[in-house]
Amino acid sequence: MSGSKPSGFRIASDKPFLIGLGVLGGSYLLIIGAMVLADLVFLNYSDRPLLGPEMVKQGRYTGDEVTVSVEPSRGYFFRKGKNDAGLQLGEQHIASDGLFRAASGEAVLLSHASGRPITASLRPEARVLGIAVTNDVATVTTDVAHGLLWGEFIRVSDAGEPGWDGVREITDTATNQISFAVTGAAKQPAKLSLSKPNPLVQALRSRDIRFSIKLSLISCTLTTLLSLWVAVPIGYMMSRFEFRGKPVIDTLLDIPIVLPPLVVGLSLLILFRYMPEWLSDAVVYKWPAVVLAQFMVACAFAVRTMRVTFDQIPHRFEQVALTLGCNRRQAFWRVIMPQARGGLLAAGTLAWARALGEFGPILVFAGATRQKTEVLPTSAFLELQAGRTEGMLAVSLIMIGAAVVVFIIARTLGMKRIFA
Amino acid sequence: MITLENIELRQGSFELSDLSLELASGEYGVLMGRSGCGKTTLLEAVCGLRNIAGGRVILGGRDVTQLPPAERGVGYVPQDRALFPTMLVREQLAFALVLRALGQAEIAGRVDELAELLGITGLLDRTPDKLSGGEAQRVALGRALAHAPAVLCLDEPLAALDEELHGEMCRLLERVHCETGVTILHITHSPSEARRLAGCHFRLADGKVARDENRSCA
Repeated sequence: MSGSKPSGFRIASDKPFLIGLGVLGGSYLLIIGAMVLADLVFLNYSDRPLLGPEMVKQGRYTGDEVTVSVEPSRGYFFRKGKNDAGLQLGEQHIASDGLFRAASGEAVLLSHASGRPITASLRPEARVLGIAVTNDVATVTTDVAHGLLWGEFIRVSDAGEPGWDGVREITDTATNQISFAVTGAAKQPAKLSLSKPNPLVQALRSRDIRFSIKLSLISCTLTTLLSLWVAVPIGYMMSRFEFRGKPVIDTLLDIPIVLPPLVVGLSLLILFRYMPEWLSDAVVYKWPAVVLAQFMVACAFAVRTMRVTFDQIPHRFEQVALTLGCNRRQAFWRVIMPQARGGLLAAGTLAWARALGEFGPILVFAGATRQKTEVLPTSAFLELQAGRTEGMLAVSLIMIGAAVVVFIIARTLGMKRIFA
Repeated sequence: MITLENIELRQGSFELSDLSLELASGEYGVLMGRSGCGKTTLLEAVCGLRNIAGGRVILGGRDVTQLPPAERGVGYVPQDRALFPTMLVREQLAFALVLRALGQAEIAGRVDELAELLGITGLLDRTPDKLSGGEAQRVALGRALAHAPAVLCLDEPLAALDEELHGEMCRLLERVHCETGVTILHITHSPSEARRLAGCHFRLADGKVARDENRSCA
């Protein structure tokens, strides 16, 4: 009986497995943390002056220095570029970003090396000369054109007669005037045609909607795979291991669930401002943004489901497996995962369904460009905006069909057990 | 041989310290004590499933304090048996052997041998949910014995069995002990069960392990 004594039996180290768990789980946690952090860091919390156009010519340094004439005692805003050391105005040296008052009439941009591109910017502060209101249109006049601010908001305050104090969006930057309507104008009601094709057929024949069905199916599937890839290690770690900072991680994991979805999209958008250019160019307003936006929300639900799944599997199984000769990786794959199969399918289904319905974050982070980042909820929204209620209903029916399929799968896999 | 030297265990507010125990090779040791006094915790420490705060665990002359459970050469039968629900009885018995990368013929032979010893030959192609309490206990025992461990740890193996099965399992344990020569550490809270089984008796009470004076080791 005791013929084959395995006294020299050795198992592989647990380290690669534990590190793998940490890396996979950590990557998701890192994005959540970075997202929140980027939100906090992004805003400049003080009012900034309204600035004029750029005064430094963007391009390559030809000589060693670039000289710009400035108006003494006027405010200027300097933003340092990658290749320069600062700005020199006579005795005055400006080394960091911000507003300063010019002491002399000539500013010299100091470069690190010649032949490199200029990325610094210098812009004059625009002063308000006056505000006039005629026929419900307010016009603010400044002493210089107000530069590259299109789409930004300004606050006009403390001006001369007649006074106005409030926040308005700038829609014209080429001149030194900002005009905005004080009251809204009525719109013409939409015209209805008399004969209409079957809206479902119309929707399915539309190239836009065919594209969005395709993108939805592909992105949801990708999102589901990614979510499971990350949710399994996090769920397992949270269920099995005690470590310092666990309550913090627990809270972090719930952030995507409790945050309004729109805010998740916005946070991602802001986060990608801090990413390298090639990365944000490849993601933002492109299809990867759709997947990432869906992933951030769907994964949180998958993590919860997987955690409950692992919580319901007693530790005893692993313990016995360990005494029988498993290392942690083998115990996980041979004993735990076969039992978690139902939970895995439930988590996948849930992630898929969440991803299919995701709208807010995608709208913000990926945009709503037809044939590019349009998914089914976006289609519904665009149809509604175009005044085609039938089209929206048709798209909704397609989604209801998908939801019914998901519901049937979820029921048969016993998701009730997990959410009861 | 099982030797525990000044074991210290901590779990939340529960604490055991300075525990020592010695069981000679091939002996049948029964560890008694009230529910909640730390018997299971001590057994887990022997198997390496629980970190000990101090002391040494020596199995078969080898200091295994720092070794993972897999390398300690122990068989473990937990109270709830923990049969893997997704595996057939045959796969459960073969589990430890597959991990050791034995040949198929060797594994099949060993599984048949075990099944015969434990009287479960007819159950090999069932899943655990189709087994009765006594049958499940036999399978769990077989699974723990498959890799021929030097030490077998049993956590209240007879607790959930009725009177008739109880006697039958006692006889089976004695037979297993006799035929394999494995050192057994058996936990129970029932003194009658301890009396029924031969061997060395220990009592865990007030944070100390005492060798029962009434019985001497054979």
